[in-house]
Amino acid sequence: MKRVAPAVLVIGLLLLVLYPLMASGYEIRFMLQLFMWVALAQSWNLISGLTGYVSFGHVAFFGTGAYAAAILVTSHGWHWAPASMMGGVAAVILALIIGYPCLRLKGPYFAIATLGLNEVVRALVSYFESVTGGGSGISLPPIAATGQIYYAMGLAALAVTAAAHLIITSRVGLRFMTIREDEIAAEAMGIDTARYKLYAFLLSAFIPGVVGGLFAQDTGYIEPISVFPLLTTITMIVMVLFGGKGTIWGPVLGAVTLFVLQEMVWVRFLYLHQILFGAIIVVVVLLMPKGILGMLQERYRLPRTI
Amino acid sequence: MSVSITAEMVGQVIISGLLAGALYSMVALGLALIFGVMRVINIAHGTFLMLGAYTTFWWSQLLGINPYLSLLASMPLMFLLGVLLQRTLVTRVVNAPELSSLLLTFGISIALVNLAQLAFTSDLRSVEYLTGAWLVGPIALSKSRVISFAFAVAITLFAFWFLQKTKLGKAIRATSQSSEVALVCGINVQRIHLYSFGIASALAAAGGSLVAVMIAIQPEMGQVYTFKSFLVIVLGGAGNLPGALLGGMLLGLVEQLASLFLTTQLSEAVAYVLLVLVLLLRPAGLLGGRST
Repeated sequence: MKRVAPAVLVIGLLLLVLYPLMASGYEIRFMLQLFMWVALAQSWNLISGLTGYVSFGHVAFFGTGAYAAAILVTSHGWHWAPASMMGGVAAVILALIIGYPCLRLKGPYFAIATLGLNEVVRALVSYFESVTGGGSGISLPPIAATGQIYYAMGLAALAVTAAAHLIITSRVGLRFMTIREDEIAAEAMGIDTARYKLYAFLLSAFIPGVVGGLFAQDTGYIEPISVFPLLTTITMIVMVLFGGKGTIWGPVLGAVTLFVLQEMVWVRFLYLHQILFGAIIVVVVLLMPKGILGMLQERYRLPRTI
Repeated sequence: MSVSITAEMVGQVIISGLLAGALYSMVALGLALIFGVMRVINIAHGTFLMLGAYTTFWWSQLLGINPYLSLLASMPLMFLLGVLLQRTLVTRVVNAPELSSLLLTFGISIALVNLAQLAFTSDLRSVEYLTGAWLVGPIALSKSRVISFAFAVAITLFAFWFLQKTKLGKAIRATSQSSEVALVCGINVQRIHLYSFGIASALAAAGGSLVAVMIAIQPEMGQVYTFKSFLVIVLGGAGNLPGALLGGMLLGLVEQLASLFLTTQLSEAVAYVLLVLVLLLRPAGLLGGRST
């Protein structure tokens, strides 16, 4: 197992690298979106899965990144790649503004503060029309870069999964998880909980910002409703819970399973699909709080760091 | 910005703020009750408000009876739905970590909101009733807002009387202070949880019925009320029921004042800024600790 797993990973990555050479435009875009969901789910996992602080507003970082990147590309003539990185930076700044006051407190304050965040950012984006184009949105110059964005998106998904691996297998990860299990005990052991919660939150905001920027370039047009939908946050949460929160591969498993199902079947039934999401959350919380991967870990005694 | 602000405008804003604030107080009282008794933040609270508003819409649409009388339907219906959800789902996470109850009620809310989308479509609906305004000196009082205010105050006072004076109310407050001691005193804590969730849902539904005559109804309207109710109980101090009243009034005033100086889009953000400021400066709420 120890020798097989890295080999499988390397072969899998190689196939994904070669994939655009043999796939059609539609298939590339499918994988690109899948990468996006892996990256988003994995990011949510960093704050909510590891520290136990639920973020209900993660799409705000995605939208902020999308707008920051789109503005840099259209008004300042940046290339989309560095612009997307700056989208990530913008998201981190937003996370700092929200996280600093809210994460010093324990309990559900943080969750509720993130609940309103998305609406507020969307309202602000609509208001500052001179910069953001308001309700009419921003059109980005069309470029044929789907292949490049595929790699960028894949890199984002890989980076955040690697980061999750590094964190979960390190002392920092143990500190995060100690906060989740018992925050008072964590403090008693000398962990600066406010600081580590903030670290987790900032980390979890960066990639959604970058991915938002890539999304903006890929779709070529963004408006407040297209980059701040509540459904995106819901999807991230469902994917992580379903796959297994607080694990490395759980969010990947959840994102792949649910995204494929969503594209194949549920897209035709929008509200039913969301009702199902609500039901999945309820069922997972009540019956299998550790998700699919957590259940497998327990049943087959798989290592904790998976 | 260039419009000069007169004394009448300030008076108007204060009155409007209090009118809106009483509704916030009533709805937030429900959230504070659930939080006090079970330490659960109910993300689905606003969903009950939305369902209450739809009850009123269909009541006046199908029966053609005065929309305010629909309180007689929306409150008991949502009481029952609340009891049912508590009995089947929420009770399983009462003693679990906060993460579980937050996510569970979030899941319930998503499912219910989308069921409402499916059943009622996402069209904006409105209940037309008493659209005019009374003029008191220079101040215009929207008729529907004044009547809704009166109902909200009456229902809130009744809820307080109930909690202070009746045996069940005292048992609820006792459970809120310490559920272990309440259990030792022979209070059936499980049943108190049921009643609390039911009463809270009925309060949210009352809020829905009362806003239905003022604003457009759609399935996603509840979320903003969940957020505002939470803001109200943060302002008042979590679990502090009188604090919820003060917090509601304060939120109403601040929002109206903001709408005087800012555009509507920005005044939506004001509640949010207020939350972050209070959490920064006075995290225990304006009135401080818990008192029921």
